[in-house]
Amino acid sequence: MKILPLIFVLMVTFSWAQKDMVNPHNSSADTAAGARIFRSHCAPCHGTKATGGTGPNLTTGVFYHGSSDAELYRNISGGIPGTAMPDQFFDGTQIWQVVSFVRSLSKGAASEIVKGSPAHGQILLGEKGCLGCHLVKGEGGSKGPDLSVIGSQRSQAYLRESIVDPGAHVAEEYWVAKILAKDGKSYTGFLMNQDSYMVQILDFSRGLTAVARSDFKDFGVDRGSVMPSYKGKLSDSELDDLVAFLASLKRVKAGVQ
Amino acid sequence: MKVFLSAAVSFLTAVALPGQITNERLLKADSEPQNWLTYSGSYKSWRYSALDQINRQNAANLKVAWVHQMPTSHRIEATPIVVDGVMYVSEPPSNVFALDAATGRPFWHYKRSLPAKVNVCCDAVNRGVAVLGDRVFLGTVDAHLVALDAKTGSVIWDVEVADSKTGYSITGAPLIVKDMVITGIAGGEYGIRGFLDAYDVKTGKRRWRFNTIPGPGEKGHETWGGGDAWKQGGGPTWVTGSYDPELNFVIWGVGNPSPDWNADVRPGDNLYSDSAIALDADTGALKWHFQFVPHDSNDWDAVQVPVLVDSDWQGKPRKLIYWAHRGGFYYVLDRQTGEFLLGKAFAKQTWAKSLDAKGRPERLPNSIPTEDGAYIWPGVQGATNWYSPSYSPLSGLFYLTVWENKGLYLKGEPKYTPGNRYVGSVPDIDVADDPGYGAIRALNPKTGEPVWEHKMLTKPWSGVMATAGRVLFGSNGGWLSRERESMESYFFALDSDTGKELWRINLGGTMASNPMTYMVNGKQMVAMAAGGAVFTFALP
Repeated sequence: MKILPLIFVLMVTFSWAQKDMVNPHNSSADTAAGARIFRSHCAPCHGTKATGGTGPNLTTGVFYHGSSDAELYRNISGGIPGTAMPDQFFDGTQIWQVVSFVRSLSKGAASEIVKGSPAHGQILLGEKGCLGCHLVKGEGGSKGPDLSVIGSQRSQAYLRESIVDPGAHVAEEYWVAKILAKDGKSYTGFLMNQDSYMVQILDFSRGLTAVARSDFKDFGVDRGSVMPSYKGKLSDSELDDLVAFLASLKRVKAGVQ
Repeated sequence: MKVFLSAAVSFLTAVALPGQITNERLLKADSEPQNWLTYSGSYKSWRYSALDQINRQNAANLKVAWVHQMPTSHRIEATPIVVDGVMYVSEPPSNVFALDAATGRPFWHYKRSLPAKVNVCCDAVNRGVAVLGDRVFLGTVDAHLVALDAKTGSVIWDVEVADSKTGYSITGAPLIVKDMVITGIAGGEYGIRGFLDAYDVKTGKRRWRFNTIPGPGEKGHETWGGGDAWKQGGGPTWVTGSYDPELNFVIWGVGNPSPDWNADVRPGDNLYSDSAIALDADTGALKWHFQFVPHDSNDWDAVQVPVLVDSDWQGKPRKLIYWAHRGGFYYVLDRQTGEFLLGKAFAKQTWAKSLDAKGRPERLPNSIPTEDGAYIWPGVQGATNWYSPSYSPLSGLFYLTVWENKGLYLKGEPKYTPGNRYVGSVPDIDVADDPGYGAIRALNPKTGEPVWEHKMLTKPWSGVMATAGRVLFGSNGGWLSRERESMESYFFALDSDTGKELWRINLGGTMASNPMTYMVNGKQMVAMAAGGAVFTFALP
């Protein structure tokens, strides 16, 4: 007797996924229910605002593993093999409610008005020296995050904030480690990795370098950003243009990240 | 000592028919340290070996002896069994290899066909096999118990223990007691009704079942609030317990009540979740229980290996159990009665004000999950977990793996549907801006006082093993790092008296099992699984 409802759920799931069905649980009450489930079951990885944590940002409207309702349903229901995304939480209705909530997060993003000129933003990226540190589609430096698909990863508001207040959110791999060794040598660079015995950095002068903790005289990590703030250095319209260009840097094809 | 052991090895291999494990040999497993006959090494579950070829003077010279790569994509959690030169080790999800223990070359490989969907909370894993006579016994993730021919890997019998479609699975290693295979069950995240089972080794027929969640009319049923919550009450038994042949007690740990992180649907103590239980080995009747956490909503299940020690207790000889529980307290219990003798925190905890005279915790405020999330110590993974502890009769110390961290506990709305998770929320195991740290600790088991600590940057997912060489083996290769690249993967040897590190090697992969040791061709070998492989180490 216990098997029957399960088979029913699986059949329904399968047929929904097959037919590329549109979410049948899309009312505001469903979205609210989905928000509650999201808070208790999804937020630990995706963040309370769904802007990402160990799991990706879900507010951009672009999903690496498929953006249709049916694909979202499949991924929430069945998990995503090869990733940390787990499976088997709920039956149909509650999963659709989560889909409804997740969709609601990117409604703004999809219709996010692009105020500036992407073409001029691209020119500014070169003129203002951004490429000295950032990579965009194969060109640029390595001192800051790769921006090649940043428009798929971050909202315009986030991008704007990062330009005027770079220290607001700094990913761990851009924290700066400062090491003074017992032999008098000093090291400064991005904290690439560490364990109980070693600290691995991208030393700003030496490149990839590993230093044993047993050789440390002093060690500190600065969680701030090495990027200068562009607040006041760009006009409002220049900022709009730059954000417009960055927002246009989209992941070309959904699928494998 | 070397000469004596080699002589003993030759003598034993000469008289015992290789592979013929008898009950007598299991009862005296610690008298043949060249073999490793049960999950924890002996019925007392000390995870201690009398081998001393590798010792604290020479452990720095350890080298890789052989590596056996498995074709699995799942995490290896198994402790290998070694019988007279043959290693039996499970490959996750539910396969078995028989290997030449000297070289790692396979004799046979049992590969199980599984349903497309198995219901396992935390990867399809297996913690090992049991052996008796010519047979190797395996629990499977589709909740079957299988007897294999130890010489060929052929199936002798295969019985369904429970319906895997509704969330039951077996991940733990079975334990042989007399002519029975004892197996636990997993599924505490799926709303199962847990149990501990005994099966006839010859036929696979079930001898007894102890339901860890009492049904109507049974003692303890009143602790489930009077509704139907008990039917999906959880109480899994997924880590191998111990056996006391004198008392004829099977002693086992019971896991969390379901749903894990929202206890509203199950008012009451929720017996026998989060408890140590002692069962009559012949009938499965409950002799006593001790509940560590009544009405748990933090997933602090009692899935630890019970360490059985006969020792003086306040001037009188007493049969004791040493138990470091997931909630962060170390306990000493009387093995005959289950009486609480001692409880002392071994890690930071913010949930219990104290333990009363019977060991029952007095809860502190802000110690249960909330809708907005509550930070509580220990974290969701516990101050320790299923990682095997170890006890050394030489040092008299109790060793364990410790997590010093907090978790973010969220409360959501649980909904039971068969075959889906029934958890209530997904807590944050590893808080990004305050990850805490990991440690191997040695405790004075009589007081619970710490003696030494080996501190690590990250938190380990594996257990420890002490040896007569006064070496303690451990590792720090966690499988759930925020970034897999930042995972530590060191397997190391410590001086078991002082905690001083003697040797380490980076194995570059997840370590989520427990070390073991054996001797073959006069060489002591230490085995540890890492990534998709079993590694062995020996002196050159």
